[in-house]
Amino acid sequence: MDTQVTDNQEAQLIRGLRARDESAFREAVRNYTPGMMAVARFYLDHAAAEDVVQDCWVTVVTAIRDFEGRSGLKTWLHRIVANRCKNRLRTAHREVNTEFSDALEPELAKRFDARGHWQSPPRQRWSEAADALLENGALNDCLDKHLGHLPETQRSALMLYEAHQRRSDEVCNILGVSASNLRVLLHRARQKIFLMVETFQETGEC
Amino acid sequence: MLKCRDLVRVASDYLDGELDWRQRLSVWTHLAICGHCRTFLGNLRATTALMRGHSDNRAREALVRRIDERVAEALARAEDPP
Repeated sequence: MDTQVTDNQEAQLIRGLRARDESAFREAVRNYTPGMMAVARFYLDHAAAEDVVQDCWVTVVTAIRDFEGRSGLKTWLHRIVANRCKNRLRTAHREVNTEFSDALEPELAKRFDARGHWQSPPRQRWSEAADALLENGALNDCLDKHLGHLPETQRSALMLYEAHQRRSDEVCNILGVSASNLRVLLHRARQKIFLMVETFQETGEC
Repeated sequence: MLKCRDLVRVASDYLDGELDWRQRLSVWTHLAICGHCRTFLGNLRATTALMRGHSDNRAREALVRRIDERVAEALARAEDPP
């Protein structure tokens, strides 16, 4: 869970980081690593993303003195991560594959007839209270597993927008995608998670 | 006239308030007559709420501890603050 930091708390944290206070770093690492990982995963596989995020924090120890506060701390950190990932890709001569095709997930598209009506409609209405769903530990494990299997672009979009509650224009900036591409990424990812929860609710299996 | 498949295609945009009033009106009209799509939309909304409450804390703890160690080393190497 990404901690919501007020401007005041953030200013205090930045002072701590500038003073090279270890406890400030511990706090910042816990607050900002999840979002930084989401950004890095957009470009890199999990292991490489972890490397980059670790290296970034080491850089921050000295670079924080150059941080001018024109953007928020989080945005600044995410930019460092994105730049490092791009450099790493450039040196590795790798291309970032992005998939922005149809908005409809193929597994879901199969469930309509030729006229566009439901052939295999959703069978159960779930509780809209996420709390009730989240209390199910097995469902949470299943969610972790499926999030890990999402294409990196979709996973990052979903984590930044949904779990970390970033605004769409921020997510577009961080990931370097257009607003319409972000809409497709989000919708595709949500449909995959929807299908996963549906299977879980109906069969108890992940 | 909006079909079920069209509704599913724009469902996230609808939930996130990204549709214009004309598109919203056609979604509402469709929902008024289609129970399946009401169920689908309710379940997709539950999915987004589920994501909001979700965090991958456990997987992250090990990484955070490694970062703590490397930051501590870097702090020890860095000069004293001015």
